[in-house]
Amino acid sequence: MKILTTVKKVVDVELTIRVESGAIVEEGLQYVMNAWDENAVEASVQLKENNGAETTLVSIGGGDDNTQIIRRGYAMGIDNGIQVDDPQLAGADSFVLARVLQKVYETGSYDLVVTGKQAQDTDNGQTGIILAENLGIPCVSNVVAIDVIDDKLIKVTRLGDGGKEIVELKLPALVTVSDSINEPRLPQMRGLMMAKKKKIEVMDLAALGTSFAEVGGSGNRSEILEFSRSQAREAGKKFEGDAAQITAQVVDLLMNEAKVL
Amino acid sequence: MAKVLVIADIKRGEVKRSTAELLAKARTLGAETAVVAIGNNLEALIPDLVSVGSGSQYIADDPGLELFSAGPYASCVVDAASQFGADQIWFASTESSKAVAPRVAARLAVACATDITDVASTGGNIEITRPAIANKVIQRVKINSEKLVAVVRAGAFPMTDEGTAGSENVIRLSAPPTDLGAVIKELIADASGDIDLGDAAIVVSVGRGVKDQKGIDLVKGLADDLGAGFGTSRAMVDSGLMGHNKQVGQTGKIVAPKLYIAVGISGAIQHLSGMTGSQVIVAVNNDPEAPIFNVADYGIVGDLFEVVPILREQIKSIKR
Ligand SMILES: Cc1cc2nc3c(=O)[nH]c(=O)nc-3n(C[C@H](O)[C@H](O)[C@H](O)COP(=O)(O)OP(=O)(O)OC[C@H]3O[C@@H](n4cnc5c(N)ncnc54)[C@H](O)[C@@H]3O)c2cc1C
Ligand SMILES: Nc1ncnc2c1ncn2[C@@H]1O[C@H](COP(=O)(O)O)[C@@H](O)[C@H]1O
Repeated sequence: MKILTTVKKVVDVELTIRVESGAIVEEGLQYVMNAWDENAVEASVQLKENNGAETTLVSIGGGDDNTQIIRRGYAMGIDNGIQVDDPQLAGADSFVLARVLQKVYETGSYDLVVTGKQAQDTDNGQTGIILAENLGIPCVSNVVAIDVIDDKLIKVTRLGDGGKEIVELKLPALVTVSDSINEPRLPQMRGLMMAKKKKIEVMDLAALGTSFAEVGGSGNRSEILEFSRSQAREAGKKFEGDAAQITAQVVDLLMNEAKVL
Repeated sequence: MAKVLVIADIKRGEVKRSTAELLAKARTLGAETAVVAIGNNLEALIPDLVSVGSGSQYIADDPGLELFSAGPYASCVVDAASQFGADQIWFASTESSKAVAPRVAARLAVACATDITDVASTGGNIEITRPAIANKVIQRVKINSEKLVAVVRAGAFPMTDEGTAGSENVIRLSAPPTDLGAVIKELIADASGDIDLGDAAIVVSVGRGVKDQKGIDLVKGLADDLGAGFGTSRAMVDSGLMGHNKQVGQTGKIVAPKLYIAVGISGAIQHLSGMTGSQVIVAVNNDPEAPIFNVADYGIVGDLFEVVPILREQIKSIKR
C-alpha cells in the first residue's frame, strides 16, 4: 500500500499571538507540525508497521521551519518527503491547496491519503475533504481508527453526531484523522539524526508539472481582510479559604449578581 | 442578501433549536429562507420544520438516508440549493455539517467558511467573521465567490425572540445515489437519555482532577441537581472514563450555555475554545494558578471532593 500524508506547518498555539494593525505579528512566533497532522503521520507509520506500506509526506510551504517539520516526519518513520515550495502560493485558500495536493497525488499511485482533520492556524477543516471530492475518491472525516481488510479495502471508525460510524472504504480513499486516533510518538535521537541526512524532494509548481493558473491560484474564493484579537474573557473573582464559606459566597453571587441560578 | 438555505439539524427525530436560530438570523438579514431536511421517516417533522420559520421545505426522505453518509447528504443539499436558487447555504455546527459543507462547496465551486460567528452581505459582497487559531484571533474574511457555504459556530446567532412560523411549501427531493466507495456498516449509537450538551442551559464538566468513577459520580450528582448537561475534557475521554460525545472543546462540542461549571479541569486552550462563549463560567480547582481561572467569572480554589458536596447542599437548599 502507498500512503500519502499531508502535513502543514502552523504557529505554535501555546504561545502568545499578537495582533497589530489587522495582522499577526511575526516576531516571536514559533512554528510546529500541525497537531492533527502529527496524528496523521502516526496513523500512517502505524499502518506501515502493522501492514506494510510505503509512506510519503507532502507539505506545501517554504522556509527552514517547513524543512524541520518534514524531518520530524522522517524521524517518526515516514519514508519519503515532498515539499512544495512556491512563493506564488502564499495566501492560497483551501481550494487552491487542494488542487496542488491533487497534482502531488497524481504523480504517485497512492492507495490512501491521510490528512489532519483541521489545521491549527486556519481551523478550517476543509482541505482534505475538498481534495477527495475533486479526486472523486471515497472520503471519511474525523476518523479515530483505521483497519486494513485487504489491499483494496479498509474499515474506518468515524466519530459522528450519533455515535461511532463504521465505514468500509474502497481504495484509493482519503481519511481525515481526529486527535483521538492515536498518541503521536516523540521522535527519538537516532531517528532525528537519520532524518537529517535524508533527502527532501523540493518542488515548485513548474516542477510539479502545473502552473499558478492551473491550480486556480488567482481565484482564491476567500481572502482574509484582517485579524483582530479575540475578546479575551477577563479573569473574574477568585475565592480562596474555607470551602464552606467561599462556596456560599459563589452560590450567592450566582443567584444575586449573575442571576443564573 | 437574497436566498438562504438552512440545513435542518435533526437529532433523534427532533429539529434542534439551532435550525430556528439560523433561520431567524437569515430573516434579520432580509433573506428569503428554505430548509432542507435529510433522513428517513421525516414526514412527522414537517410541521416542526415550518414552525421554526422556513419559507419552503425541501425533504429528502429515504430509507437509504437513515444513516449519515457525507456524499449522499451533500447531493441532497446541492439538489435543494439548485432548486431553491440559494445564494447562501448554512449549516449548524455539527460533525455531519463539517463533513458535508466542504463537499457542497467543492461541487458548487463556491467558497466555504467554517465556524463563522457572523455574516454580512452588502451590495452582493459577502463578508464573514470567524475565530481561528483555537479562538486566539478573529478573522474578517471577504468571500470572492458569489455564493457561500457556511458552518455557523454554536451559539453565534442567538434568538432574540420566540421566532416566527414560516409557511408550508413542501418540495420532495429524489433519493441520491448511494456512495458505493464508502459503505456504512454500522452505527454504534451513543447512550441516549442524557441531556444534549448543545441544548443545555447549564453545563457541568468534569476533568482529570476527579481521578476516578467515584469522582465522576460526585460531579454528575451536581449536574443532575441542576438539570444540567454533563460534559468533560479530552483527558477523561482518553482515559476511557467518559464517552466521546461528552467532550467539550476544539475537537469536541462547542457549548455556550448560560452557566458553565468546570470541575477539576485545568483550562487547556483546546478546552477553552469550546466553552468561553458561555455567559457565566465557574471553576473549581485546587491549583490557584490553573489557567481555567483566567476565564472564570467565579473561581473556587479548593479540593473538589470537599467543594462539590457543599455546592450540592447549598444549591439544594436554595431550590427548596
Ligand atoms: C489537537 C488537540 C485537540 C484537543 N482537543 C481538546 C478538546 O476538544 N477538549 C479538551 O478538553 N481537550 C482537548 N485537548 C487536550 C488538552 O490539551 C488537555 O490535555 C485537556 O483538556 C486536559 O484535560 P483536564 O483539564 O481534564 O486535565 P489536566 O490538564 O490534567 O487538569 C486536571 C486539573 O484538575 C486539578 N485538580 C486535581 N486534583 C484536584 C482536586 N482534588 N480538586 C480540584 N482540582 C483538582 C488540577 O489542578 C488540574 O488543573 C486537545 C489537545 C490537542 C493537542
Ligand atoms: N499547506 C499545506 N500543506 C500540506 N497539507 C496541508 C496544507 N494545508 C492544509 N493541509 C492539510 O489539510 C488539513 C486541513 O487543513 P485546513 O483545511 O486548513 O483546516 C491539514 O491538517 C493538513 O493535513
